Amino acid sequence: MNLIILATLSMGGLAAFFAFMLSVAHSKLKVEEDPRVEKILDALPGANCGACGFASCHALAEAIVKGEADVNACMVGGSETVKQISKIMGVESKAVTRKLAFVLCGATANDRSKKAIYQGVETCRAANLLMGGDTACQYGCLGFGDCEKACPFKAIKMIDGLPHIDPSRCTGCGKCVQVCPRQIIILEYFEDLNYRVKCSSLDRGKKAREVCKKACIACGRCAKSCPFEACWVDNNLAHIDPQNCQQCGVCFLVCPTGAIVEVQNK
Amino acid sequence: MPKIILILLGAVLVNNFVLRYFLGICPFLGVTGRVESATAMGFATTFVMTLTAAIVWPVNHFIIQGLNLPFLEYVSDILIIASLVQLIEMFVRKTSPALYRALGIYLPLITTNCSILFLALFIPLRNYGFLESVVFGFGAGLGFTLVMLIMSGIREELDFADVPKSLRGAPITLIIAGLLALAFMGFTGLIGTA
Repeated sequence: MNLIILATLSMGGLAAFFAFMLSVAHSKLKVEEDPRVEKILDALPGANCGACGFASCHALAEAIVKGEADVNACMVGGSETVKQISKIMGVESKAVTRKLAFVLCGATANDRSKKAIYQGVETCRAANLLMGGDTACQYGCLGFGDCEKACPFKAIKMIDGLPHIDPSRCTGCGKCVQVCPRQIIILEYFEDLNYRVKCSSLDRGKKAREVCKKACIACGRCAKSCPFEACWVDNNLAHIDPQNCQQCGVCFLVCPTGAIVEVQNK
Repeated sequence: MPKIILILLGAVLVNNFVLRYFLGICPFLGVTGRVESATAMGFATTFVMTLTAAIVWPVNHFIIQGLNLPFLEYVSDILIIASLVQLIEMFVRKTSPALYRALGIYLPLITTNCSILFLALFIPLRNYGFLESVVFGFGAGLGFTLVMLIMSGIREELDFADVPKSLRGAPITLIIAGLLALAFMGFTGLIGTA
């Protein structure tokens, strides 16, 4: 009998001691975290991709609560995420402005001519280091697919040695832009219908034509035909200003090589 | 050699808790992906082990043995370990949120780390005094940290190696653990019989 009482008292005493210590610690070592941070973290995709400019989804959640970041900072989550975050923060939901990636080269493996046979590591960055790779055009796509491998959302597919970007999957995170050694992938805002010069070649005329069938030869027809002064040729490469462009499509029609393309993004 | 040094060396090298007794395999396999998190886990565990030894000894001496309640040994040990880990978790969360997030679920999992319970059970078994118990706890933690450091270093290097597809991840880690255990066997006889 004595044993039972002794056992109960001693264990009970020990437990009470620790319970006291824990309650003291709980009040002394409390971490004040705004409950909204946890809720926003749940609403965010959790990919920790860094596209918003913050180190992690948790960092962005903290920034949004502090007011250092906008509710539509996460372009990966889409409008659904922005709506949830706006509700948590008690503000008006903003539109999601999303940039899309675009490859400034339209040459498939058939269109490009090669200047050498490449035997080496089959990545764009390795090929580019070795005398600028095996393509005759020193500005365009090398076709080994570093961008495809870098994309965390599987939005890029290499078809015929040229990357195709799926606008429904692209989140504008910019990983492909960083990885391309020729830096011919750009991030831009796209309308439903766009016209872009899908070429980066600074060669002109015959030289450009020799290295690639689809190159911009800087003939200037697009610039001359544009009624809105949205198209011009600079440094042997045609440029279209998306701000002034009214999507009339004349440049697309007059381009002799097919360097200007029509981009439909839904 | 003074007994304290023998105990320390024994716990760290000769009778390493992970490689000799195969305790604490869960964090050993789970947190050794990167060196930073492995060492952080090792230090946290060392802290818990030292404190556990310091608290288990008086409780054991005065209550369990003092009042002759040997059947309560397991209960009291678990009580002490669980409370301590909770306290340390709160402490880490307050002082270093980054570390807290890095350790993640493995911090409260120190509670279930069998090496700590083993430590608590070993102390009365070997009839250590208070100072000897604390040194033993510290040494056990140190040995654990050492092995975590070694394993995480190897695994980081292994990221660049050509491991056969079927062995990637847990299998190759276990094979390496076995090889490490074999290597640490070389320490037997370092201090005679410990």
